[in-house]
Amino acid sequence: MMKRRDLLLRSLQCAAGSAAFTALSGKLQLANAATLQRPKSRMLAGGDYRALVCIYLYGGNDAFNMVVPTGSGYAQYATARADLAIPEGELLPLSPVVPPTGGGSFGTHPGMPELQSLFNSQRAAIVANTGPLLYPITKAEYTNGTVPVPAQLFSHSDQTVLWQTPQAETQNRRGWGGRLADLFYSTNVNQQLSMNISVSGENVFQSGETIVPYFVSTQGAEAIHFVEDVPWLAERRAAFLALRDGTYAHPLQREYVRRMTRAMDNQAMITSALDGAPPLATAFPDTYLGRQLRMVARLLSARSSLQMTRQIFFVAAGGYDTHDAQLGDHADHLAELSGAISAFYNATVELGLDQQVTSFTASEFGRTLSINGDGTDHGWGSHHLVVGGAVNGGRIYGTPPDLTIDGPDDAGWGQIIPTQSVDQYAATLSTWYGLSDSDRDMVFPNLSRFSSPNLGFMA
Amino acid sequence: MKARCCMMAALALAAPGTSVWAADHIFDTGLEERAEGPYSDAEAARFLTQATFGPTLSEIRRLRDIGYNAWLAEQLAAPSTEHLPYLQAQQAQGLEVYQNSRQEAWWDRAITADDQLRQRVAFALSEILVISDQSGAIEGQPFGMANYYDLLLNQAFGNYRTLMYEMTVSPLMGHYLSMFKNRKPDAALNIRPDENYAREIMQLFSVGLVMLNPDGTVQTSGGDPIPTYDQYTIRGLAHVFTGWNWANCPRTQGGQWWEWEFCPIGPVPYPEPGWDVGWLLPMEPWESYHAVDDSKQLLDYPGVSLPNGVLPAGGLAVDNLNAALDNVFEHPNVGPFLARRLIQRLVSSNPTPAYVGRVAAAFNNNGSGVRGDLGAVVRAILMDPEARTLAPESSDRGKVREPLLRQTHLWRAFNAYANDGRYREWNPEFNLGQAALRSPTVFNFFLPDFQPAGELTDLNLVAPEFQIATDPQVASSSNALGAIAYWSWRGNPGQQAEDVVIDLGPELPFAQNPVVLVDRYDLLLMNRTMSDAMYNLLVNYIGSIDNDGNPNNTLPDEQRRERVQDAIWLIQTSPEYVVER
Repeated sequence: MMKRRDLLLRSLQCAAGSAAFTALSGKLQLANAATLQRPKSRMLAGGDYRALVCIYLYGGNDAFNMVVPTGSGYAQYATARADLAIPEGELLPLSPVVPPTGGGSFGTHPGMPELQSLFNSQRAAIVANTGPLLYPITKAEYTNGTVPVPAQLFSHSDQTVLWQTPQAETQNRRGWGGRLADLFYSTNVNQQLSMNISVSGENVFQSGETIVPYFVSTQGAEAIHFVEDVPWLAERRAAFLALRDGTYAHPLQREYVRRMTRAMDNQAMITSALDGAPPLATAFPDTYLGRQLRMVARLLSARSSLQMTRQIFFVAAGGYDTHDAQLGDHADHLAELSGAISAFYNATVELGLDQQVTSFTASEFGRTLSINGDGTDHGWGSHHLVVGGAVNGGRIYGTPPDLTIDGPDDAGWGQIIPTQSVDQYAATLSTWYGLSDSDRDMVFPNLSRFSSPNLGFMA
Repeated sequence: MKARCCMMAALALAAPGTSVWAADHIFDTGLEERAEGPYSDAEAARFLTQATFGPTLSEIRRLRDIGYNAWLAEQLAAPSTEHLPYLQAQQAQGLEVYQNSRQEAWWDRAITADDQLRQRVAFALSEILVISDQSGAIEGQPFGMANYYDLLLNQAFGNYRTLMYEMTVSPLMGHYLSMFKNRKPDAALNIRPDENYAREIMQLFSVGLVMLNPDGTVQTSGGDPIPTYDQYTIRGLAHVFTGWNWANCPRTQGGQWWEWEFCPIGPVPYPEPGWDVGWLLPMEPWESYHAVDDSKQLLDYPGVSLPNGVLPAGGLAVDNLNAALDNVFEHPNVGPFLARRLIQRLVSSNPTPAYVGRVAAAFNNNGSGVRGDLGAVVRAILMDPEARTLAPESSDRGKVREPLLRQTHLWRAFNAYANDGRYREWNPEFNLGQAALRSPTVFNFFLPDFQPAGELTDLNLVAPEFQIATDPQVASSSNALGAIAYWSWRGNPGQQAEDVVIDLGPELPFAQNPVVLVDRYDLLLMNRTMSDAMYNLLVNYIGSIDNDGNPNNTLPDEQRRERVQDAIWLIQTSPEYVVER
């Protein structure tokens, strides 16, 4: 009988003396040495390829400190934000190709020179004061309760779902990225790998009726080393697979089987494709968001061997819930965002995909204009970023809000009422992605309530 | 005389003609049973799976010996094995103490402490009343965070109202959810109170977003869930949570703003050690920073004590805090809200409303008229028929085992320790996706209502633990358990003093006979819930390992160890194990 001892003997003897020994993850690298030779694959031309990349900012990004009025509009902002206002002289000027609605000049947070550059070179657009709505609503209508608003506004978990579905009146938890995938997945030659890939774990956005996201880490996919498909593990692997592939009466056990099966089936494919793709020349910042977007870029680079022509990716960063110590923390987060989103754009240029890949931000809410001392609380509307070669960049879409506390856009205590709905924002991206007018109402059932189904920021 | 059900079941599973029993590890015979049970090893093991960090054979035997009631009485009375002293001992030895030490303490207590039920319930509470070292505000505070965990331990069977107060004035929670130094409104500076803690204490720690029936089902109006509160309640409560700063702030200059702003964490001049003692002490109120000008809208509900749920203007910070905590604590949602969450952590993801209702009733009244008695709640959870009765395979009872609990189970079952006595398992989140007090946000590693798309959504079942069971994590958790079973065993020639290793030596005598071995782990790892199909498959496979064709020949230890390792790992990665019923 075949000895299966290779792995067992790569054991403590091999690892002895290694500082990493006590970390089991460290020991696993020994097993990595046993991975197979990977076939090289060829790059195919870009061709008919499209991808959306959702950059989710968990916690509620304070976009009112990310895109700030300058010149005559600055005083209003500075009054509202008091001690948390960014000094006007530090803001990085934006040069819109078309003046924003209502006029005025704007700058970005000083930690975002890459965003400034993307905007001023018309690779990035700013979509102003967007948020979850059921209907267009004015302050008077909100105050008097004459127009309904989504349930549980201002709650992290609920507004996250509102942003990612957006189907505010239903209990439906299928995300719009998932529903797009339900419509488009059949165009991919590869029907084993999900059209939707998340580098940041579970999310509502990518889950459709048929399509659920496949998950990778910033390192890609991980094999189960103790049952890799190698001769000396064949018997154990057979026993493992027999247990995995048994018939189970319990629904949670069946779900575990599905997850285990998918993880194993996709791992070899993903690893092989990533190893076979040409190395990326573009440098990414070594930040959490940078590492995630680098993995997305590597997957883009491997799209031909993976035989994917339509994909939707999800990455995320946390820490945006800046109730406290906002000035320092938020500056760090925005710098991370700016550096990563810019590197990712550069990578799409390197791959010849800058016209075919669009990244965009999402976040459950903006933050209150009013402050709580050294931080801000949960708001409602917020500004968002869309980046890519297919973006009609260098413009601010929608009307930047009045930043007066208790002013015409303030629902109360600086929670700014959105003037554009998430439905419009998502539908604009989806239309670029290829969503037909006839399917649009199915994916975005509330869209027709708003004046325009397309905000115009995509070519 | 109770039927010895599991003895018969095990006999039935065994292949004909094989000897099933190894007398020294089967306790079904020769025991006086307690009236309340457990009536079998399997029942004892299953109870311990829910009530501890993993059954051991000796604890199964002991539980059978003394019965549920005595075991619970002992565990409910057992003093806390606190975590902070572990960190302080390391500091006294001159070691640098970081969050690593806090994780070591957690593993040490999970694996070795005698107050297992308390430790397990505290861990459950730590996933509900979340703070996390992923927050920059507290990542540098291992002592304070261990002290917060001890708060959960010490109140695990105390009163929830007391726990709410201690949690609220903890400087760790104060920094995590920014109630620390939260101050009254200042119109001139455009400052109003921070809403963070006000929002989350209601949404996540007590009443939730929507009105619940006594059995935890959602109250609706016109088909829509009825909200528990609105933004005005959050603002009212935010005003209550103002005026709290470090303990023992000097106010020698009359409580001037600079004294509030630059209040030291400990005595001045700073003693060493102890300069940061404020992290270990409850926050203290400053009346001059507490909002008293206006009345405060709190929760309004049938039977609310404050008229319309409004707290009048004025009052002292501590009195207003207590009035507000009473207002939250007395809300009828708290019982079913907490009952469901604790049941999910200990027993089952999808408890029936009747089960939730019974546990909520124990929260509402412990039998002596006391509301909020967590000991009574824990007892009600564990002794409920729905917890104690093994449902059939086709049911939807049970839950996915948390990855951390799979590793504690493995380590406890096979007596894992390092020769230097420490558990240097500092970053379990890398492979297992979780670690004590290390979740990404206050929403824990997973949501109570997480519902994987597909079949489970169609069946309207939740499965919180699947939220972190991503493709990489399914692989890495399997690898982490394999790295222990296959590599980290006592006597491995490369073993170092700091390596935590399981002891497979005592297992080797049972490995000669695959039936005996699989039967042993069916009890120890799976509470004898293994299906016939799985049992037979494992027996056949284990028997095939290095079998020279003559079962009468004695296997060398090396091959016995392989049998043991394969049996353990194949079980711990199997669907029947991962989903405990």
